Amino acid sequence: MSGIVIKDASRRFGSVQAVDHVDLTVEGGEFFTLLGPSGCGKTTLLRMIAGFCELDSGEILFGDTRIDRLSAHVRNIGMVFQNYAVFPNLTVAGNVAYGLMARRVPADESARRVEEALALVQLSGFGERKPHQLSGGQLQRVAIARALVIRPQVLLFDEPLSNLDARLRVSMRGEIRALQKSLGITAIYVTHDQEEAMSVSDRIALMNAGKLEQVGVPADIYRKPASRFAAEFMGTTNLLEARQLGLAAPVWVSLRPEALRFADEAPADWPRLQGIVARVELLGPLTRIDVTLGSGTVIRMATLDAPHRAVAVGDAVTLAYEHARLTVVP
Amino acid sequence: MIGHQQRLPLTIAALGLLFLGVFLVWPLVNVFGASVLDSEGQSFTLANYVKMLGRPFYRAAIVNTLGIGAAATVITTVLAVPLAFSLARLPIPGKAAILALAAMPLVLPSFVSAYAIVLLLGNSGLLTVWLKGIGLDIGSIYGASGIVLVYTLTLYPYVLLPTVAAFKAVDVSMEEAAQNLGSSPARTVRTVILPIVLPAILAGALLVFIETLENFGVPFVLAEDLPIFAVEAFKLFIGETAPNPASAGVLATLLILTTVLVLLIQRHFLSSRRFATNARQTPPILKVGPGVRIVATVYCWTIVLLALVPFFAIVVLSFLEFRGPVLHGRFSLDNFATLFARDMRPLANTLMFASAAALCTGLIGVPIGYVVTRWRTGVATLLDVVATLPFAVAGTVLAIGFVVSFNAGPVILTGGPLILVLAYTVRKIPFAVRSAGAIVHQIDPSLEEASISLGRSPLQTFLRIVVPLMLGGIVSGVVLTWVTVASELSATVVLYSGPWRTMTVVMFQALEGGGAGIATAAASTLIVVTLIPVALLYRLVRRYELGS
Repeated sequence: MSGIVIKDASRRFGSVQAVDHVDLTVEGGEFFTLLGPSGCGKTTLLRMIAGFCELDSGEILFGDTRIDRLSAHVRNIGMVFQNYAVFPNLTVAGNVAYGLMARRVPADESARRVEEALALVQLSGFGERKPHQLSGGQLQRVAIARALVIRPQVLLFDEPLSNLDARLRVSMRGEIRALQKSLGITAIYVTHDQEEAMSVSDRIALMNAGKLEQVGVPADIYRKPASRFAAEFMGTTNLLEARQLGLAAPVWVSLRPEALRFADEAPADWPRLQGIVARVELLGPLTRIDVTLGSGTVIRMATLDAPHRAVAVGDAVTLAYEHARLTVVP
Repeated sequence: MIGHQQRLPLTIAALGLLFLGVFLVWPLVNVFGASVLDSEGQSFTLANYVKMLGRPFYRAAIVNTLGIGAAATVITTVLAVPLAFSLARLPIPGKAAILALAAMPLVLPSFVSAYAIVLLLGNSGLLTVWLKGIGLDIGSIYGASGIVLVYTLTLYPYVLLPTVAAFKAVDVSMEEAAQNLGSSPARTVRTVILPIVLPAILAGALLVFIETLENFGVPFVLAEDLPIFAVEAFKLFIGETAPNPASAGVLATLLILTTVLVLLIQRHFLSSRRFATNARQTPPILKVGPGVRIVATVYCWTIVLLALVPFFAIVVLSFLEFRGPVLHGRFSLDNFATLFARDMRPLANTLMFASAAALCTGLIGVPIGYVVTRWRTGVATLLDVVATLPFAVAGTVLAIGFVVSFNAGPVILTGGPLILVLAYTVRKIPFAVRSAGAIVHQIDPSLEEASISLGRSPLQTFLRIVVPLMLGGIVSGVVLTWVTVASELSATVVLYSGPWRTMTVVMFQALEGGGAGIATAAASTLIVVTLIPVALLYRLVRRYELGS
């Protein structure tokens, strides 16, 4: 099982440095996610690996083999596209068999492998259907089966779930992760959705403006953001100067809303903050509350839905926060 | 280093530029060369231009051509825009039929319409004689008025069809927003809808204008003594007196410069006026009173049918007996008997040339259309410009360039059939490139990337994924090329020789020789030859749409 090594890869489009001297190592069998806002270079980096975007400088290796000079069609990569890219002129089985035909796999073996692949994505019996008869979720399964059946060295996912509805997105990401782990294929997954990234990934590379902002396991990136950008991109947070919390150190800190509680529910050793409720937003399982501190700083907290506690705008409240979850960000 | 991504498009671009370089740019360079060289062909001179522009006759040709073109453009636009609005937005019975009939003048040869006008309204035309009988004198149909009439009847679809599409593409919410802000329906049309469809109208009007500049057959039939650019260039080059490539070159160069200038003006004007509207649904049919509805219906049907009357008349006339130019009211197949007893080869030639040219145009135009749509590089832009160039070159001019370039030297083509096929192919390439490009635009690039990442090379991907997905459009394009080539006249009359006459040449010669019977039979045959493939295509498309 080969890993992927990206050495000093760069690519410029006009005046935009899309990918800026990126170094990255993805372990064999790892589920690795490139995460970032649109235009951060994550898709360009993925397309470099796939062979659809040439490097201005740097190299890409699969194991010990340098692949960035190879034509895209000989790289043996399975790619799943954002809009599925299922060939509309072929049947489902024809789509899945497409890569096998290109590899001149004998007909009987091809038929068997197509069946296996369709069974793997729970589309047994759909082989003779035409793409226009399938739903978005089914098309995505066809695209995945088509990418898996060629037994690729690497599976690439380019925002594969962004065209599906929210509910399906959640169940599909679980399936994709389970499938990747059961087959043990190295996977690189591109998304702009931090929740999706945290859900599926072994490790995440957070990208910003063509550079890697932070690479690590999901929990680390969320809990120990290496930069203000990382802290804000990975979810709602309070980015504060330490003195706004009454601390002496001249640093910026990140404090997640869920690290705050009402004082009467918090351990006694947590530092306290006094303030007035400025806004209450009930989201269902979660309630978001903005509190204006005495200094004028607005701090955001979040609690699980608690019907017994009625909080209204204008209430004077005392909050407490867990000091250990205060992260210093450069 | 040439990246692996670039190999296929660069190969296509290189081959495309080579072909167009040899069979388009080189002939045009020679035409231009002939116009700026002295009589020995040695040194540069502007004397030819001074001489030609010094003659009132040729200055009149310029004025006439531009004036007739402008008049025809204005009249077609004024007629076609209300027609388009009616078809897009008003409740009119038989819309599908009207649209199908309205597209027919695009594939029918315009000089046939001109000839029918002569037979009906000419000095001894059927209607003229009949009207004189009841005391009405309609005056002469020859000259500018007749030419403008025929242009109007045959070219209005160029404005109509894109404008209908544009009216249908207007986002309803724009109108609703205007009305919500207090604008009356009439003001909404004037201030919101018309500005949005204006680029489409102008694009169509430009096509009309350029068609009139380049048209050879219509003025040849109707102009009589009125000098017209394309006809005079032809006469100077082929004329009874000694052929004069230098003077013909001057007219040809001026003609190209005019069309290019018009194209540039349009480009400049449209560049700042592109309104993308993404209508999710076609705008609703307006509720109007019975009065408006009746007027609109009569208006639409009248224009559409009037445009087809000349063609219908020709077909009827071809089955009547002629003695010389004189018509007798008896049914007869003599005209066809005479036409085909003489020689079946012109028909065979027409079918053969049209098939060969349609095939070549598809084979060359589709890959070029693919490259210029997919690759936004300098080479692709150059290819795009060069492949659009034939659009600005009149058939007569290109043909003169072919004769000048390929009657001596390393490649000799004059006198054979190949030169006709090549000229047709070059002339039709812009249309193939445009229509192929439009289809490629609809194909998601990630389909190609999916194929490549599954192990097919870019060339195999093009053949196995792109071409099958384009097939419907390619077939339509090939059929349309076939049809327009079959009725091509302007390049053909310059380039044909001996046994390689086509049906259009037969008709052309019959016109000159006064053999009205043969001319009508040839015209009818041309009409049938052009309509059968279009009808088949229409049925095929319908079946395909119903099947899927």
